[in-house]
Amino acid sequence: MPVLRLALLAAVWLIADASVQAQSRPLVVGSSATYPPFAYETPAKQIVGFDVDVIQAVAAKAGITVRLVNTPFTGVFASLDNGDLDLVISGVTITDRRRQSYDFTAPYFEARQLIAVPASSPVKALADLAGRKVGVVTGSTADDVASRTFGRTSANIRRFDTTPLIIAELVAGGVDAAIGDNGVIAYRVQEHKGLKTVNDPGFPREYFGIVVKKGNTALRDRLNGGLKAIVADGTYARIYRTWFKTEPPPLPTQ
Amino acid sequence: MEPEPVLWFGWFRADIIAEYAPLFWQGLRMTIGVTVIGITLGTLLGLLVGMARLADARHAPARHLTRYLLRWPATVYVSFFRGTPLFVQIMLMHFAVVPLLMNPADGLVVSGELARTLRQEYGALISGVLALTLNAGAYISEVFRAGIQSIDRGQVEAARSLGLSYRRTMYHVVLPQAFRRMLPPLGNNAIALLKDSSLVSAVGLSELAYAARTVAGAYSRYWEPYLTIAVMYWILTLALAYGVRRLEHRYGRGDTR
Repeated sequence: MPVLRLALLAAVWLIADASVQAQSRPLVVGSSATYPPFAYETPAKQIVGFDVDVIQAVAAKAGITVRLVNTPFTGVFASLDNGDLDLVISGVTITDRRRQSYDFTAPYFEARQLIAVPASSPVKALADLAGRKVGVVTGSTADDVASRTFGRTSANIRRFDTTPLIIAELVAGGVDAAIGDNGVIAYRVQEHKGLKTVNDPGFPREYFGIVVKKGNTALRDRLNGGLKAIVADGTYARIYRTWFKTEPPPLPTQ
Repeated sequence: MEPEPVLWFGWFRADIIAEYAPLFWQGLRMTIGVTVIGITLGTLLGLLVGMARLADARHAPARHLTRYLLRWPATVYVSFFRGTPLFVQIMLMHFAVVPLLMNPADGLVVSGELARTLRQEYGALISGVLALTLNAGAYISEVFRAGIQSIDRGQVEAARSLGLSYRRTMYHVVLPQAFRRMLPPLGNNAIALLKDSSLVSAVGLSELAYAARTVAGAYSRYWEPYLTIAVMYWILTLALAYGVRRLEHRYGRGDTR
């Protein structure tokens, strides 16, 4: 039964790999690494970014070891639910709906939604996008905003998996605008000539938080302690300046 | 204004499916449409490519022409589309190939306002159908090639010695017999294409899987949307399998003694 033996060999190989990972037991951190400057992969397959620096500084202060796993944004919550991930830092906006299902740390970043459009576009605000095609990342805050503004089942909302894809679709003319978190949209628009950003002051102020499984208050409290410590000793401000070239706004402690 | 949760069997949030019902119905129509177009065009393409792979001639220059202009391109095409993941083909088609040909700024084939309109209204449909058709065509060409090759040489020799041309031999003798043998694998390919159409949701085509992703994204719930479309896909594949069985029965009549 050479086929059976081969299958067995493959299984042993996979299990051996998994058990090596289980031995040291660092906490597994999920992050969707297609999201510069928050988290993205370098050509050397290393995940870097603002989120990565923050979680590493927080972990160091909280006395825990972490291992980053690149997880598509659409899968981070399910992975948290089924235990594949212990925590998620992936530019996740704290919303009341998400709070029903998950626990969040105190905010670590102030975010707003930002609109990207072609440089020639007459769009000045979110309301101007009525009747136009809008690209958003599935399940993101922008998806939520667009769904509430234009209708959940509107055919004018085009959902994709990642921010680079909605920008690619905008460049190719498939949508009239792309909406996403300010940090990422601003970063992406710099890369493409012929695009500009539109800031609608009507968008509410939002905050990113680190997510843990509902009820895992022990981990949440440790992370909060770490977060407080890096804000107090200036580590947070240093990381913020590295990635956004400006001073951080004050964060609510909540 | 959050809708009141409606629980079926104590755990299935039926209200969130109802809330997105138009997206699911529209998705069902789109999935059926894409599948029908894909199967039709894929079968035609498969027939042509399958015959191209078998093309041969006895004397130069036709002998070289068939090799370099028919057999080799057909072989490379089949190898590429069977040898790379469909998901990769879809992304390549939508974000690389189609924008190169059709782009508001500098499209090679279509540009300007027309390109923008086409991309906005039918962009994902065009790339999805193209990728699915090309992929299915590669697999189906192998079905045709195997089907044609499975017919005993003696059949062709007999037909040719009776004075039938190559074309009439194919049309009246080989293909009718081959088609009967090809029906089961063609049915398999049709079912595969129906299921594979779910991958096109990645480029924003509003089919069944897109509806499920949208709901999962909005509610972070996975049982309800994905179970719903699983049942819908299952019903569709059952119907398709039934149709293929009917066809097999009908064309298999000549085999019963």
